[in-house]
Amino acid sequence: MSATVRAPRSERSVRRDAERVGFFTDTTVCIGCKACEVACKQWNDLTADGGELVGGGSYDHTRRLSASTWRHVRFIENPALPTAAVSAGDGLPDLVDMAIDAATPLESWLFMSDVCKHCTNAGCMDACPTGAIIRTEFDTVVIQADVCNGCGYCIPSCPFGVPDRDPVDGRAAKCTLCYDRLEDGLEPACAKACPTDSILFGPYDELLEIAQRRVTRLHERGIESAYLYGAGDPPEASLAGGLGAFFLLTEKPERYGLPAQADSPIQENVVPATWAAVGAGMLAAAGVAAAFVVRPASVGRRDRVRARLWQEGRR
Amino acid sequence: MSATDRADVDEPTGPAASHPAERDTTPALGTRGEPGRWQRAVAGARVALHKRGFADGRWSFLYGRDTEYGAERADPEAVADAARRARKGSVPDLVQGPVMNPAVWTWEVPLYFWFGGIAAGSSFVALACDLSGDHRSARIARMVAVGALMPSPPLLVMDLGRPERFYNMLRIFKPRSPMSMGAWCLSLFGGLGSAAVGADLIGRKREARALGGANAIVGGYLGSYTGVLLASTAVPLWARSRMFLGPIFITTAAATGAAATRLVLVAAGLPEGHRTRHALGRVESAAIAVELGLSTWNERRLGDIGDALERGRAGKLFRFAKWSVRTGLALRVLRPRLGSNVHHVASALYLGGGLGFRYAWVAAGKESATDDRAVARMARDNG
Repeated sequence: MSATVRAPRSERSVRRDAERVGFFTDTTVCIGCKACEVACKQWNDLTADGGELVGGGSYDHTRRLSASTWRHVRFIENPALPTAAVSAGDGLPDLVDMAIDAATPLESWLFMSDVCKHCTNAGCMDACPTGAIIRTEFDTVVIQADVCNGCGYCIPSCPFGVPDRDPVDGRAAKCTLCYDRLEDGLEPACAKACPTDSILFGPYDELLEIAQRRVTRLHERGIESAYLYGAGDPPEASLAGGLGAFFLLTEKPERYGLPAQADSPIQENVVPATWAAVGAGMLAAAGVAAAFVVRPASVGRRDRVRARLWQEGRR
Repeated sequence: MSATDRADVDEPTGPAASHPAERDTTPALGTRGEPGRWQRAVAGARVALHKRGFADGRWSFLYGRDTEYGAERADPEAVADAARRARKGSVPDLVQGPVMNPAVWTWEVPLYFWFGGIAAGSSFVALACDLSGDHRSARIARMVAVGALMPSPPLLVMDLGRPERFYNMLRIFKPRSPMSMGAWCLSLFGGLGSAAVGADLIGRKREARALGGANAIVGGYLGSYTGVLLASTAVPLWARSRMFLGPIFITTAAATGAAATRLVLVAAGLPEGHRTRHALGRVESAAIAVELGLSTWNERRLGDIGDALERGRAGKLFRFAKWSVRTGLALRVLRPRLGSNVHHVASALYLGGGLGFRYAWVAAGKESATDDRAVARMARDNG
């Protein structure tokens, strides 16, 4: 199981001996400083998100991954009572209520530095009609900015909500796992900036081994709920064939805005959907033809004259 | 440039403005233009105020001063078991989204679906007219197909974030991507359709019929691939309707294509009581009735995920579309009592309803993708 999950060899073109690299993000040591977000924005020259906090009293101000936010530290304010203190509408717990009302305290405050998962079965890459989204020699998934024409199909094709179209620039954008830095032997900007090494960068196999040792240690210390999201699973339970950027979590994935199961939606759906569609298309064409071939019950002499006149173009 | 020279310039522009000549840019260390060199005053000295390790760790009952924790030996089986436990079972009470991003497509895309559907439906009609021997109607239907296709490429180009790069769609042929296949299908349909109309115009009847027949086959994909395009995404409503979207879209295409061709043929003088007129009326009503049936069936089986078709703007559009086509069907049934113009009103209602269905499906998909619980539940159910 520790063998690297790799994409088919045909998807890689250059430097075939390059190793798969990735991120291992350990949420238990994340302090929510957002240094990774800032480092990412600086290195990749992305715009700021503004300083307004999201609704419901969460201290998060970024809210989501977007075309201008390729790393996002999600703040999860976890109330002690699951349904208590949830402000109406957005499903977020209300921190002010939790502070005022001792009956519904804040149990834990989780931080998770979210990023593109660089899936083995990448939905965005399957969807891309221009070939702008490629798999690199490091088995990462990168949007080539000089090819992308901004069709937007990768956006709903990602089960993790990663790619986004920049309204000003017009192209889709997401984490490149600092492809430009990797080419020069540097680690990605976010991993470099992380003060607690919550974000670890390295060859996939090494990261997986570290991650598994950490989960084992946490289990020994009584944190039974610790698990790896996206790595170390048997093939039939893997997330999108295995994630190049995987996470150590302690709550159910949905608390972090992650789906419990995911795969490339195109690989799951396109074949049955196409059979149904093409079959229906042929049936529809045949049905239209059949409606014409059926002769009406009575064709009078007048109708026949009319039809002849129509054919001759004389009304 | 000296300071006095610059005083004459009202609004300084260019590099001189941001780097005044009088500013001293001599580097603190080394020589200008060369890499900086420095060395510690005392060998092995620490940087002032720098602390090794992450000091806040000492407050943690878990980590001590160390964030590089880990067991001596990993237990991969137990780790995989823990992941299985967390990812099985039911969705937790709190889902903190957003889980996925909704499509960013604007009004151009559903309008293109409608035009493309009319083009595909008209190509079916052209083939059927030829088969039944009404070649004049077939000729007109082929023109309707090309006419309906004309606005499609501009609409699709307008929706791109970088319209000037539209030709990148034809850079590769990618059977896996419905968008790529659609771009190629649209090009092929446009080429075949234009060639057929051109053959009609220069009087090559046999070639025109052959090209028109081939285009009806291409039209079978053109009218239905849009459904596959939506079904192959992670949007719960679309993905869960994967076996229905293609059939629903092709029946809408057949109905709107037949309705448009019928109205054009009537305007061109196709006499009342002509069998082509009868047949087109039957095709429209049958196709739209099948569409309504499939939609209702699909909505029933979707359960909660289908709610996106009832809420908000999508819900309004969907109800408008349904009532339009129901009214059209009722008019067709009552026609003998109401006179022949009612027939044309029904065709117009089918066209309007078809447009409503296209907008409703795209809008409902956006609604569904932002429904975090629906997205989370679909993921759990897939496992």
